[in-house]
Amino acid sequence: MDRVDATEHFAQHAQGDLPSLLVLIIDINPIPWTTNPLSTALPFNTALSNLLLFLNAHLAFSHTNKVAVIAAAAPRGGGAKILYPAAELPTDTKGRPQSRPPQPAPQPGEPNKYRPFKDLEEGVLAGLGKVLASVNEEDDGTDRTVVSETRIAGALTLALAYINRLAGAGADNLGQTLTKGTGTTEAGTMQSRILVVSVAGDVASEYVPVMNCVFAAQKKHIPIDVCKVAGNSVFLQQAADATGGVYMKLDAPNGFLQYLMMAYLPDPAARQHLVLPTQANVDFRAACFCHKKVVDVGYVCSICLSIFCTVPPDNICMTCQTKLAHTVGGMVVRKKKKKKAGTATGSGAGTPTVGTPRP
Amino acid sequence: MADSDDEYIGSSGDERGKRASNSRKQKGAGDAGKERWEEIQRSWDNVVEGADGSISAAVVGLLEQNKRKRLLKDTTPLQRGIIRHLVLVLDLSIAMEEKDFRPTRFLLQLSHACDFIKEYFEQNPISQLCVIGMCDGLAKRISDMSGNPVEHISAIRKLRANGVEPKGSPSLQNALDMARGCLWNSPTHGTKEVLIVFGALHTCDPGDIHMTIKAMVQDKIEVRIVGLAAQVAVCSELVKKTNSGSLAGYGVAMDEKHFRDLLMANTTPPPTRQANTNASTLLTMGFPSRFSNPGHPTLCACHSNPITSGYMCPRCMARVCALPTSCPACSLTLILSTHLARSYHHLFPLANWVEVARHDVKKRSPKLCFSCERPFPKLAALPPSSTVAATGDLATKRTSNAPVPGVKAVPSISSTGRYACLDCGKWFCVDCDIFCHEEVYNCPGCEADPEGKEKRQREKEALAAKETAQTGQSSAAQGDAMEIDG
Ligand SMILES: [Zn+2]
Ligand SMILES: [Zn+2]
Ligand SMILES: [Zn+2]
Ligand SMILES: [Zn+2]
Ligand SMILES: [Zn+2]
Ligand SMILES: [Zn+2]
Repeated sequence: MDRVDATEHFAQHAQGDLPSLLVLIIDINPIPWTTNPLSTALPFNTALSNLLLFLNAHLAFSHTNKVAVIAAAAPRGGGAKILYPAAELPTDTKGRPQSRPPQPAPQPGEPNKYRPFKDLEEGVLAGLGKVLASVNEEDDGTDRTVVSETRIAGALTLALAYINRLAGAGADNLGQTLTKGTGTTEAGTMQSRILVVSVAGDVASEYVPVMNCVFAAQKKHIPIDVCKVAGNSVFLQQAADATGGVYMKLDAPNGFLQYLMMAYLPDPAARQHLVLPTQANVDFRAACFCHKKVVDVGYVCSICLSIFCTVPPDNICMTCQTKLAHTVGGMVVRKKKKKKAGTATGSGAGTPTVGTPRP
Repeated sequence: MADSDDEYIGSSGDERGKRASNSRKQKGAGDAGKERWEEIQRSWDNVVEGADGSISAAVVGLLEQNKRKRLLKDTTPLQRGIIRHLVLVLDLSIAMEEKDFRPTRFLLQLSHACDFIKEYFEQNPISQLCVIGMCDGLAKRISDMSGNPVEHISAIRKLRANGVEPKGSPSLQNALDMARGCLWNSPTHGTKEVLIVFGALHTCDPGDIHMTIKAMVQDKIEVRIVGLAAQVAVCSELVKKTNSGSLAGYGVAMDEKHFRDLLMANTTPPPTRQANTNASTLLTMGFPSRFSNPGHPTLCACHSNPITSGYMCPRCMARVCALPTSCPACSLTLILSTHLARSYHHLFPLANWVEVARHDVKKRSPKLCFSCERPFPKLAALPPSSTVAATGDLATKRTSNAPVPGVKAVPSISSTGRYACLDCGKWFCVDCDIFCHEEVYNCPGCEADPEGKEKRQREKEALAAKETAQTGQSSAAQGDAMEIDG
């Protein structure tokens, strides 16, 4: 009986102080960062040091708070990678790590730095350096023309998988090797959120994967905050809107740190008591699959839900090749037997080019 | 609205008790099987000690088995009825007074029904639903066919608030006839479904129910039933006949959780059977834009409520307060593009991943799960594959209808704890496997490293081209993506 009382007491105490996980996704697409208005107002170096400060602030709130940093790159500009925390290598039988990456030499002159801050800074910089180096050295003949759009779906998927791992593992330490199958702990053991620092536009073909991530996040009550430093992204607008995150387009990127601290630092529990920046207008219009033209009244295939701006030729759906009857005012005009089953393949790779909502 | 009888508004506890015991007597005759408390499952019976006397290996195996069991989904990209028309039939008969489900069958049914409706519209945002109740040998309309979850949920809540008590006998025939009437007008491009919660063990019908079943088959209405007490012959016949011979749609709940699972299984759009795909239609839909003008409220066209933000019909500029809906002025279907996107994962499902065989784990192979960077267990620490039973029939019932392409044999429980995506070749842990297939519907490897995926595809093609010349060409050209036997 004593034990019961004790746990209750403990539970009450723990309630107010749930560990909070912040997953930061940095857009490392070089083109927007080096294009003029942004490159003078907020050079990448400054942005990075501001972000590190922001992450330190998050860590400083509670010693149980955690941070993860993921890089998102342009198509052909390296994939999405987890920068921090560095992957733990499995230990060998003697408990030693099998192969340790060479430890960076301790920076002189910083003996008084708070250890978690130092680890974070070194980890993020090392991870970023590794990603950039791998992009530079990898020369396999593939076309490396970098475009000014950024793939975000991979980074979001990694972030969700990472959150899933931590939430499933309860309040375990990041550094510890987790035994697999720790059972299903309540998702309430960890408060997670995702912050996307984005400078580029959307990759149109990523619509389905991004929306899948958004719905997964929505289901797990993980807000996706978006800090739009430059450019315009309809996907991220919808992501923030659907998950209840903060979306802000920065008017003055040189005040980056202040934006971060004021709008993105409070965790979901604190946000209930704050007035947050809201999105007045979210673009929900759809783009047709045929011409990527924005439509407000469109035709939708009842089998695959593709959107068309006009009745497709011969009434055959261009995505799933189904013969369609066209309804006028809710009445079926023509009834025809379906011609062919869906041609979509089983993998995500089979995803046909799907239209994207565009402004 | 249902003209609920107000007879039992203040029903006292002992009155309920009497009714419950009465119905238990009634039921006793039909329920010849074992009672639930007689079948005991001891969890420790399943555990086998390892060679060193520890059970940790067996425990890990069992955990994985449990996780993996839920996972072997049907990933056939078959056409699913994305636009559904479903009639939810609730049992409001005296049998629902039973307290074998806590707090009572009736109250549990109502709360589960609300959750079901919420989930149904989450999964099928452009579908329709209506709710019917069976009591006193009659079928009563609880809510009308509509696409607004709030209406149905408030109707069910009202049922409870009005103190409606389970009463009389249920009538399957009356309920089916009413459901048929509800679905009569539904357009041909959608599915027609009836989902019945059936707590009683008998039905009290005015005519021949077999005639009604025949009519249901003719109208191409699929009926699925969640039983609460025991299997009933007429129910299995009904399900069998309306689902072209498959009994998969009839389940009897064993406990509260199972009841919920059975109900929630019906939120996934059903695969369209050949017989039912009578017409595919091109639908006209409107994608409204959001407006907001704080300080100047306007009346919405749907409820005449003052609103400061809402959506505007692109055709007639009528203002509505919530989506999806059909425009109250010009009856255009109004929807957000995100509503359509929510259904895309049914149409483009993520292929199952295959387990990595023991002999494919080599020194150079990845040691970390690609997506969450959790280290894989060392091979030595894993249970020998013999202790983990490879059970093919653990796969979901749906797989029996359609073969799973891309997976040659039904994958068994991995004995290596590593699962590989055939498209990108990356390896994942079991938790990520489940998470990606059940919640995200994306492959982290394919999304995070599209170039690696393309490269692999090219390699695969090249390999296939000169397959005959060189058989043992294993390409480990690319850093961490390993070649597995695909
Ligand atoms: Zn078009
Ligand atoms: Zn189509
Ligand atoms: Zn309204
Ligand atoms: Zn209208
Ligand atoms: Zn994993
Ligand atoms: Zn993959």
